[in-house]
Amino acid sequence: MMNSNKNTVSSLIPAGLQLREDYQIPVNSTLLATQYATDLIVNIAGKKPQIRRGKNNEYYIPLGEEEFLKTVLSLPEKGFVLISLFCVQDFEESPDFTLFYVFRLNGFTDVFAFMRCVRMETTSIATVFPSACWYEREVRDGFGIEFTDAFDKRRLFLHEAYPEGFHPLLKSFKNEKIQSVENPEEAYTFKQVEGEGVYQIPVGPVHAGIIEPGHFRFSAIGEHIFNLEIRLFYKHRGIEKLAEGKSPSACVPIAEVISGDETVANAVAFCTAVEKIAGIEIPTRASYLRAILLEMERIYSHMSDLSGMITDIGFPTMTTPFLIFRENIFRQNEFLTGSRFMRNAIDLGGVKKEISGEALSKLNLYLKIFVPQFESAITAVHASSSLIDRFSTTGILKKKLIAPLNLTGPIARAAGASYDVRLDHPYGIYKDIPPERSIKTAGDVLSRFEVKAEEILNSVTLIQKFIALIPKGAITAENTGFAILNIPNGYALSMVEAARGQNLHWVYVRNGLIDRYKVRTASFCNWQAIEHAVLGNIVPDFPLINKSLNLSYAGTDL
Amino acid sequence: MVNPLMYVFRPKVTEEFEFSDTELDALGSETKAKINKVFGHSLAIRELDSGSDNSTELEISNLGAPHYDVERFGISFVASPRHADVLLVTGAVTLNMAKAVLKTYEAMPSPKFVIAVGDDACNGGIYKGSYAVLGGVDKILPVDIKIPGNPPSPKEILRGIFALVKNKENEN
Repeated sequence: MMNSNKNTVSSLIPAGLQLREDYQIPVNSTLLATQYATDLIVNIAGKKPQIRRGKNNEYYIPLGEEEFLKTVLSLPEKGFVLISLFCVQDFEESPDFTLFYVFRLNGFTDVFAFMRCVRMETTSIATVFPSACWYEREVRDGFGIEFTDAFDKRRLFLHEAYPEGFHPLLKSFKNEKIQSVENPEEAYTFKQVEGEGVYQIPVGPVHAGIIEPGHFRFSAIGEHIFNLEIRLFYKHRGIEKLAEGKSPSACVPIAEVISGDETVANAVAFCTAVEKIAGIEIPTRASYLRAILLEMERIYSHMSDLSGMITDIGFPTMTTPFLIFRENIFRQNEFLTGSRFMRNAIDLGGVKKEISGEALSKLNLYLKIFVPQFESAITAVHASSSLIDRFSTTGILKKKLIAPLNLTGPIARAAGASYDVRLDHPYGIYKDIPPERSIKTAGDVLSRFEVKAEEILNSVTLIQKFIALIPKGAITAENTGFAILNIPNGYALSMVEAARGQNLHWVYVRNGLIDRYKVRTASFCNWQAIEHAVLGNIVPDFPLINKSLNLSYAGTDL
Repeated sequence: MVNPLMYVFRPKVTEEFEFSDTELDALGSETKAKINKVFGHSLAIRELDSGSDNSTELEISNLGAPHYDVERFGISFVASPRHADVLLVTGAVTLNMAKAVLKTYEAMPSPKFVIAVGDDACNGGIYKGSYAVLGGVDKILPVDIKIPGNPPSPKEILRGIFALVKNKENEN
């Protein structure tokens, strides 16, 4: 008999949630989002809400406690997906804390942020929205707010070295060195699986390869994984607190180091939010250049995954071409921006440096040579029966998990989801020149490999279109300096489709300085997929499954 | 008896190497000569991430990719600190990683050396002053060489490794 205490997200998922990723809204699509939300809340809670339009396709809906509970708890069956949950202290005129529950709904490009005022205690929604579990633990660590009925009250990003009662995101805490706990005891309890032949394998935080730190606790029966629990946040660097009190311009480099291989995506998302608050409209040429760099980032990031997946089945000959491509792309990045990771290329108001027409045609030339070489490497992969044997049916991610866990990016598209921020919440030049969707349905390692390979080619096509159509002109909005100096108090939410999926940034500016910067990268949500994708697989396939999901530790741990 | 010169002059079995980089090759052979002398023909490196943004990891792993292929210079990346001469540390040491960093260092056999890679590992970089980090790697381990950069390129990292080997030669 297997006994397990039900304290993790994974034990909740199969509990018959009526969530469907392909949910279609039963309303006329021309109906405005405000009207839709108003009708919904009136129907459920019997009270008309005050809906405020945000600055970047988001709506803010403050709700009283009673309306909140009635409304939010019934949102899953309406197809709403919880995409973020974060806390702000002293938001505008509100006392204490305001929790923002951000949802998206298929068919709407706008997102809905339900606001709930709380003091030091509130209730959990994690039994209805499993993805809320990590968010609530994050809020508890950051602000000390207790979710009294939460099923998982363990600390999240504050490990044993942090003293009790320490909550770094409280305004009363000024960022400075703290006295860490000497020789802390291991206080973290993992889910215990008991029974004949069950044994635990603890892995990490330091792994065998050149990769980031994190802990994996397997419960295995023979070769097969019966349960996996992950513990992350070893790399918690205090990014959100670091941004507080800084000028918006000083925060661009902070956005760039959230996750090194998402430098451009996070810089663009942060800058977009600030530009919306400041009322800056970036020039068309800058929009094109940003999109070119975003797609270059997607190409090298996906390339790492393709090579990594093949490395993890021990097939170096087949890996080599992808490593060569990746290095060539890094060199193109350096040629275009002066940095292999395109650091210091994006700036408030547009881009920092002009990329000449000549440089762009050279890139175009390289891409022309690249495509047939890449296609032939992919053909070789498909011709290897031993490789296909390892990839196929390994690490299947079920489609029904996508909405409850808000899984996004290529890993969700390889499991039948169509969601892509570039298409579903279009921004920048993607409004005019959208990408192709790449969708597979099997949800296994092979599908993830195929989606990523296809997306590389789609990105190339996009870049070629951008280069063909890019107009001449300014690369920074003329009023940038003035607008940033005179930035009004305000806030905006922005989303970008990074290589790993949906990255969400929320910026709140007060008196010209950042008051709160909330970052949620795709990895924060996507990490939770791994606990499900490995079940029933053999332990030796774990590295392969992990690589195929390609999750950023840095982007999650912040 | 086999004439060793035969290996140098006979035609190569593999195809022509398309990314030959004379600067890298020169640096590499110099490094190899010193490794042969100082470290007995091979330098084993264990990489440890103590809180980087992951770009430095990518550049370190690039050292093994075909354009650089540092194994030909006698440098190998090993899976365990117990097999390592050098600990290559990236990232400002986070409070959450401090204990694991110490344990990893303690697991290495002596003599052992530490290289800090990237601005954050050198002095805390952009995270300086954050509650969540200790600062540079030298706050917790004796650091022999610092390689600055955001992140440093593979060649810069190789230059740092060369500097370590050279320093050790001079010390002997």
